[in-house]
This record gives sequence, C-alpha cells and structure tokens, in this order.
Amino acid sequence: MLDPTFASALAAIVPPPALLTAPEDTRPYECDGLTLYREQPAAVVLPDDETQVVAILKLCHAARVPIVARGAGTSLSGGSLPVAEGIVLSLAKFRRIVAIDPIARTAIVEPGVRNLAISEAAAPYGLFYAPDPSSQIACSIGGNVAENAGGVHCLKYGLTVHNVRKVRAVLVTGDIVEFGADALDAPGYDLLALITGSEGLLGVITQITVKLLPKPALAQVALAAFDDVEKAGAAVGNVIAAGIVPGGLEMMDREATRAVEQFVHAGYPLDAAAVLLVEADGTPEEVAAEMAEIRDVLTRSGATEIRVSADEAQRLLYWSGRKAAFPAVGRISPDYYCIDGTIPRAALPGVLRQIATWSREYGLPCANVFHAGDGNLHPLILFDANKPGDRERTVEFGDRILELCIEVGGTITGEHGVGVEKLSGMCTQFAPEALERFLGIKRAFDAHGLLNPGKGVPTLARCAEFGRMHVHRGELPHPELPRF
Amino acid sequence: MNTTDSTLRQGLSEVTERLVRDYGERAVTSRAVREQHSHGEGLADAGMPDIVVFPQTNDEVASIVGLCNAARIPVIAFGVGTSLEGHVAALYGGVCVDLSRMDRVLEVNDADLDCRVQAGVTREALNAELKGTGLFFPIDPGANATIGGMASTRASGTNAVRYGTMRENVLGLTVVTADGRIVHTGGRARKSAAGYDLTRLFVGAEGTLGIITEVQLRLYGLPEAISAAVCQFADLKDAVDTVIVAMQLGIPVARIELLDDVQMDACVRYSQLEFEAKPTLFFEFHGTEAGVREQAETIESIAAEHGGSRFQWATAQEERSKLWKARHNAYYAALALAPGKQAFATDACVPISRLTECVLETRSDIAATGLVAPIVGHVGDGNFHLVVLFDPARAGEREKAEGLAARASARAIRMGGTCTGEHGIGIHKLDALVAEHGDAIALMQAVKRALDPNDILNPGKTVPFERAQRRR
Repeated sequence: MLDPTFASALAAIVPPPALLTAPEDTRPYECDGLTLYREQPAAVVLPDDETQVVAILKLCHAARVPIVARGAGTSLSGGSLPVAEGIVLSLAKFRRIVAIDPIARTAIVEPGVRNLAISEAAAPYGLFYAPDPSSQIACSIGGNVAENAGGVHCLKYGLTVHNVRKVRAVLVTGDIVEFGADALDAPGYDLLALITGSEGLLGVITQITVKLLPKPALAQVALAAFDDVEKAGAAVGNVIAAGIVPGGLEMMDREATRAVEQFVHAGYPLDAAAVLLVEADGTPEEVAAEMAEIRDVLTRSGATEIRVSADEAQRLLYWSGRKAAFPAVGRISPDYYCIDGTIPRAALPGVLRQIATWSREYGLPCANVFHAGDGNLHPLILFDANKPGDRERTVEFGDRILELCIEVGGTITGEHGVGVEKLSGMCTQFAPEALERFLGIKRAFDAHGLLNPGKGVPTLARCAEFGRMHVHRGELPHPELPRF
Repeated sequence: MNTTDSTLRQGLSEVTERLVRDYGERAVTSRAVREQHSHGEGLADAGMPDIVVFPQTNDEVASIVGLCNAARIPVIAFGVGTSLEGHVAALYGGVCVDLSRMDRVLEVNDADLDCRVQAGVTREALNAELKGTGLFFPIDPGANATIGGMASTRASGTNAVRYGTMRENVLGLTVVTADGRIVHTGGRARKSAAGYDLTRLFVGAEGTLGIITEVQLRLYGLPEAISAAVCQFADLKDAVDTVIVAMQLGIPVARIELLDDVQMDACVRYSQLEFEAKPTLFFEFHGTEAGVREQAETIESIAAEHGGSRFQWATAQEERSKLWKARHNAYYAALALAPGKQAFATDACVPISRLTECVLETRSDIAATGLVAPIVGHVGDGNFHLVVLFDPARAGEREKAEGLAARASARAIRMGGTCTGEHGIGIHKLDALVAEHGDAIALMQAVKRALDPNDILNPGKTVPFERAQRRR
C-alpha cells in the first residue's frame, strides 16, 4: 500500500488511467519472462514523457520509494520483477522513433520501441539494427540496453553495448544525463558501457541513439549435420580458428531439432546428433568465398551432410527452426528452464559432454539450442513442475552447468542478465574485491538503493549467507557481516 | 582531505624509503629517471614523480599501491611514455609505477582468438610473439605503446574503422585498485551480462580508477590478402566526401587516412614519396582476394565520381610498409616543415555526416590564424588530427596555437562530436571535457570517489577533481 500523501502526489504527476493501483490492474505486471518469481507492486505508472519521469523519480527519491523500470517485460532473469512496496515505472508509452540519420547511420529512439521496429523503420534506407534477441518482435530497446541483450547476429556485429552510441537517462535524483556521444568515441569514463547492462540499477533510460548497419547484399546459411555433439562443438571452434566470422553460428542438438521439426518443419535432418547453422553475409563475391571456406572447415570437422540455402526463402526456413526453438521445446515438455552461460569456444566439446552426462544422471532431458559462435550456451532443461522434486533437481542441474561455465573461464550469463535469478551465481563468479566495486558504483549513482533493488549485484551479506564467500588463507573477508 | 602537508611529506619520505628498501635497484630516485617519467610525447608539463618503481608482478603493484594509499601518496602508472595529453605527469609528485618490466605474453589461445598479456608488453612485441600463429593484434595508434597504456587511454588508430578501438578489443583485465587489491574483470567469454561493465570502465580511465596490470585481448586472423592504395584529389572537400560515401555504403575498409595538401607536402619531403602535395587518401583493404578486389573497385569508382585520381597500388609488403611508415611519421614530417618550431597534436572526432563541414571549417580557421597546421586523420571514423606548429620564441604564437586547438575542440563538440577521438583527456583537455559532458561530470566524479576515495590514482587527470593538496 502506498502512503496516501505519496499516492496523491503521484496521481498529480500521472493521473489515472496512467496510474494503476488496484490489484486487478497491477496483476499483469507481477512478473516478466521469468515466471518463477512473482510480486505485485504497490502501483504502476505509465508516464507520457521525460518530464513526468523526472517528476516521478524526484518524488520517489524524496519519499524513498523503490522504482522498477519496465519495458516489454520479456526479461528472462527477472530484471523487471516488481518490489512489493515500490512502483513499476512502465516505459510502454515511449514508442517514438525520433529520427533516422542515414548518413551517420544512426537512429534516435525512445526506450519502448520494439527491437524489430527499429530495423523495420531503417529498412527503406537499406539499414538495420544488428542485435537480435530471439524475442525481438516483442522486446523493447530500452530493456535491450538495460540488459546488454545479444542475439544471433552478435557474433559478427557485437552486443548491444557495441551498437549503442548514446543513452539519455534520468538518475534517481531526477537529473537528466547523457552518456556517450554522436561521434565514435566519448571522452572521460565510459559511463555508456556502465549503464548498458546495468539492469535498471543506475538510471531510467529515456532515449537511445543506436548504430545502424548497411543490410548485407546477400546472406546464405549452411546447415551442417553431425553424428556426434562433441564433433559439432569442435567444428564451431574450427570455423572461428580458421579466421571466419560468420554472420551467425548456431547449434542445436537432437533433442532440440526433433522438437522444432514437429513444430515448424524446417527440414532439419532428424537422424543427426547435432545441427549447425552457419551464415555468411556480405557481397555475393564475399559470400561465395566465405561459404566455400565454411564448407571446407565443416567437412574437415566431420559433418555428415551440408546443405546451403539456395534462396532467401530457404534461408528463412532454415532459420525458422532456430528462432522457434524455445516455443517448440515448450510444446514437448510441461516446463523448461533456460540456462544462459558463456564459455570460451574451445571448451565447448567438454562442456557439452558433461551436460549430457548430468542429463542422464538427473533423468532430466536437456535440449541445447545456442549461440555457439559466441560460446553462449542455452541448455533447456525439460521438467514437469507438477512432479515432486523435478523443479529442485532442475535448479541444481542448472546451477552445476553455470558453475562449470565459471570453472572453464566463462560467465554465468551471456545475455539474459543477473536479475534475481543469478544473484547467488554472482558470488561464485566474482571475488569480494570485484563485488565491492560494483556496490561502490551503485552507491555513486543511487545512494539509497532505490532503483531496481535486490537485482543484479548481490550484497556481500547475501554472498556470505550463500556460503560462497572466497576465504583466502583462513582470513574471513568482512568478518563484520552477519552470517548464518 | 584533512591530512596536512607536513604529514603527507613525512608519509612520502617513509614510502620512498620503504620502496628503496624493498625494491633495491628497481626503485629509482635519480633526477634523470624521474624527469624521463614526467611526460609523454606531448607538451611537457611540470610534474616529476618523487620516485620511479619497476614492479614485476601483480602482487608487487598491489603492495606499492597499498603503501601509497595508506600514506595518501599519488601513484601514476607509466608504460613507455607515448601519450600525448600529459597523462603521466606527476602533478602532485608521488610514486611512478613503471610497468615496462611486466612484459610477458602470458597465454595465446589461438583457437579462441584471444591472448593474455602483462600491461608492459608493447603492441609490436605482441605482434612479433604472434608471428607464426596466423593471428595478429590490429590496433595501431602509430606509437609503439604498451598494451596497458593503450587500454588506459582507450587508444584507437588507423584501422579502428574496421577493428574498433581498445573498447571493442579488451575482453578482460587484471587491475590493482586504489586500496591495493587485485580485481579481475571480464574474462575469456565473448560476452557476459554479469555485473556492471568494469572492464570498459577501466579502459580509458587513464589510470585514475586503477592500475591495469594484465589485459585479455581479442586477436584476429591475418587476412588472406592485403593491399593498399593511394588516391589524390584536387580539392579537400572531394576527398572527405569520398570517405563519407564509402562509409555510408558500409564498405569494410581496414584503414582510410586523409592527409591534406600541407601534410602531404610534408610527408612527400620527409619520407621521399613520389606523390603530389595534394589532398590525399590512403586506403588499406583486408580480406579474401575476391573481397579485397571488390572493395577496392567500389571505392575507386566512388573516388572517380569525386574527381579522384586513379588508384596507385602498393601490394607488396615493403611498399605498404613504406606508405604506412610515412603516415606514422606524419607528426615528425610536420615538424620538419618548420625546423626550430614546436608542435603539438590535437584530435577531434565528429559524426561522419558532419565531417566535411568540420574539416573545411577547421581549414579556414587555420588559414585565418596564419599558422602552419597540417590535417591528418582516420577519417573513416570521423576522427582527425591537427599538428599545430608554433614558434615559442615569438610572442603570442603559443597562445594563438592553443586557441586554434581549443576552437577545434569546441567545433567538434558543437557538431555533435567529441574533443578527443583517441588521445584521451589527460590534463590538456579537461576544460573541453567539461564543455562536452557537463551533466555527466558529476557522475564521473562520483565514480572516481567510489573507486579511489583518497584520490591517489593519477590525481588531476581525466575527470576534473578538486584535490585538497596544493599542486606543486
């Protein structure tokens, strides 16, 4: 419940219907793409413009009310999970594409614009916006920046952080700050990189300048089948080691291709243990040369079959399976849990073998569909939440995969973010020295911890409770912290 | 800060004694060495460190910084001293940490196209080490800087247009923070959404947030084919317009360098090139044989539409080296235009759509001052440099030169650009940073305070920050 004085002050800034307080109205905001966690906020506000955002933040700051910014609510890590005593600040009305500059190859957009809508608006100029998370038809660019979203194209064209020029944000104090510059480089500290991927903990994004790229004249995809998952994993490393940077390099194992075939009939070979999709894009000459090399490497790596898309329709068909993989898996299993870890590519075969072993041990099928070229794994653990013990074993299985990712030099999240889901994993991946810097930065931006509290960066106390605090030579770091 | 000057002085002498005791001949207090560590290649600024230490391990760096932090003594990291904006000047004295003895390549993972090096490895040494692996590290700021220094200044260079700057090519770091602890950021994974992006925060922080001791870098496969071409224009505008069209089409040129007629004149004389003193573009193409040919043909036709000459090719390694050496020596060539004069280089970066306007306005400004100031730049990313020559003996000429540079910064900012594409802020561009980033400065200061509460790391640089101590 909101304090009545606060509530009326809030209503003065954003009157209903832009202010939702009735439980039946706030219910749709209780969770995001990570439905394991739910919480109803005290209120939801849908401001029209930046002036209102500034006023809302000033009000919340003065009253010490937590704020959770929300875009399209597609986060897979609980990044926009509400806080019970706080408000959800929805940027759904920030839907304008403010300008497209075809010469500078940039677009200025508001945070509520859908990822795909940017590429659609840029298409008449022969341009596109490269990062393409699978949810691109729904997810918003503000959320992409907040989570440093990835996608299939990121291998060649970089993550969100590489494709954003400038971000305008409102700090918790209500001050408006611009990060980055219209030019290639901005002097001083790279606060643009800091706010990108900060999961709404440092500011509320109100405008973004993204880079646009010329649409390649031609794209072709090779579909390669392997009789062994590890061979396919090794092939990924071989492609990269050959100096080829494909426009996309994705892998699906048999569990995934079978689910997909029943769903979209993309023509994947069902007898294969794993399938790789390798895309070449560029001018026709470049594509021809690169595709010849790709074929060569795949053959040498033991591919049992290689098909190259003959035309655009076939290319889209081959990709349709990959893009539909998550919903397809959703059809064959009552529940699935999507893991998101990244490893050095050379470690792929070993890690895939270990996942397969664990899958047998736990008796939980696991479909692998992932951005292989980046080493970004997305094992989908299939389970049935109604079966006693399934859920617990699934979480344990997932945790072990992520710990393995850290062990081989990787990270607990490649693109989905930490949110509420991976706070404990942060304690494993980062030493207290690094976590302290994170917390220091958070304090520098938001001294009272009002923006998206309880996400992204664990408190040292949480790590201590979690029992993953690194103890060096018997010296317990931060003995002052309360522990269980 | 409430510590008094005298306790600081006492602390300094204790730290100095301790360092000499612990590091023996690797802790040097001689005037010559201190002087050598007081400046980079830009204009000299007063600011000698009190002692120079040459650590060899992360732990040694951590212990030096820890000592300094306890005594509130400034610590300035030093690579090989090729920076241009006064980054290494010890404005408040203190301890200079020279990382040149941390010069080992720690690992090369050729399958993953990455490597890990100590901060003191120079880029040429790294590429020499990579010989035979088929890989290379492309970032090339001209000078043979250390990787640690390049990361700290977020260096770019002639081929940033294709390979990006240090921002895109540093995967992870080992950093000694102000409290003398060792922090690892990033790693070998190609992407991570875990935690704030500390890696990019330390990259470009110019040693004010931590001392970088190890760097994980992205590597690239050596291209199958490389060729370079030179194209000359009657008019500066046409040369710049050619670049803009090429960039708009997204042609993945590895390097595009613009030299105006003054710079070209200097280079022709200095490096004995057989070209005319006209506005000129140098190109380099990387890729497959077919790809390179195609890129070159497209650009040649764009150039022709803008009145450019036929391409003159340099395909053999020696020819290309000669060409790029001439480009790298542009600064010295400019100096040779007017023996006895002094010079400083300044850089500006604008959105590519404003490049022509910015270059031409700058050109008229130079003409109006009557100074000699050749223009040269990595125009593919909208970045260009001025080498401003002036005679220190002539009254008012340094001021005139500085005015020209300040107006170049202001012009770039007015056109939506930045006062520095790659040289960094150091001390010379602090004012310009304020002009450009007024609203973000308070945040930068807050970040600085969060990571270096005692303001011991390279104080007085990068972000304007009031140090309580008096500058010496």
